[in-house]
Amino acid sequence: MSGDNSKKNLPGLLQASLNPWLIKVKDHPERLAFILHRVTGVVIILYLIAHVYVTNTPTRVGWDAWTQVMVQFGNNIWNKIGEWIIAGCVIFHGLNGIRLLLVEFFGIGVGRPVHPKPPYRPVSLYAGQRLMLLIVFGLAIIGWVWAGLIIFG
Amino acid sequence: MIKMGKASNIQIWQYLTAILLIFFLGFHLAERIPQITGMSYHQSLDAENAYHSFSSYGWVLWILAAIALFHGLNGLRGIFLEWRQGKTYTLTVNALFWIVFLVLLGVATWTIIALPALG
Repeated sequence: MSGDNSKKNLPGLLQASLNPWLIKVKDHPERLAFILHRVTGVVIILYLIAHVYVTNTPTRVGWDAWTQVMVQFGNNIWNKIGEWIIAGCVIFHGLNGIRLLLVEFFGIGVGRPVHPKPPYRPVSLYAGQRLMLLIVFGLAIIGWVWAGLIIFG
Repeated sequence: MIKMGKASNIQIWQYLTAILLIFFLGFHLAERIPQITGMSYHQSLDAENAYHSFSSYGWVLWILAAIALFHGLNGLRGIFLEWRQGKTYTLTVNALFWIVFLVLLGVATWTIIALPALG
């Protein structure tokens, strides 16, 4: 594919996968889950890079510096809010990741193909994976509240 | 012949590393839960506990770092490769993936093997 063609596809791709405000999620919570999985994934990898650097502090400058960093994190409300957001991202990404493993890797909860009949609703949309998705949303909210109690408690 | 990596391979690596992360990251997060450790979240991060984690099972943390970095950066690579296509672009993204992965894994390895004793 030439460079021009790939650029021509860019607006459509942005609309289809990266802009949550343009995605119609009504009756399609899988789309919301897809967007959230991507956004939380990007947030987590950015955090992970910082995490690898910060955990290197004792080796780089000693344990006193580590203690200073941890005290600073423990006393600053904005750092705690940041940690809580990261915790929410990890909880949702992890739970939804388990759902994706079950559905996509092990083929659980997608149903079996049937002959197409009006109104042509794919089996996969009402098979077990939809229930799994709703459970993921529910558990993620409970987990995020729990993480907030741990971090701010 | 230059191998550019199949999209299907990228996804399979995501699944395999995700399965490992359930166990390794689950263990790492459990270290921060007061109901499991018996200490507060912030207490679990103090120098004494951090040193204990690194010195007792540093190899587990190193494997976790390797898997998590691979999974995260490979996911980012997948997003970038969906964005645009092209031989040069794909090779650049793949090369950047390996460079960033190896540099960050190098930092994680340095953390484990050169960790100073708690004074």
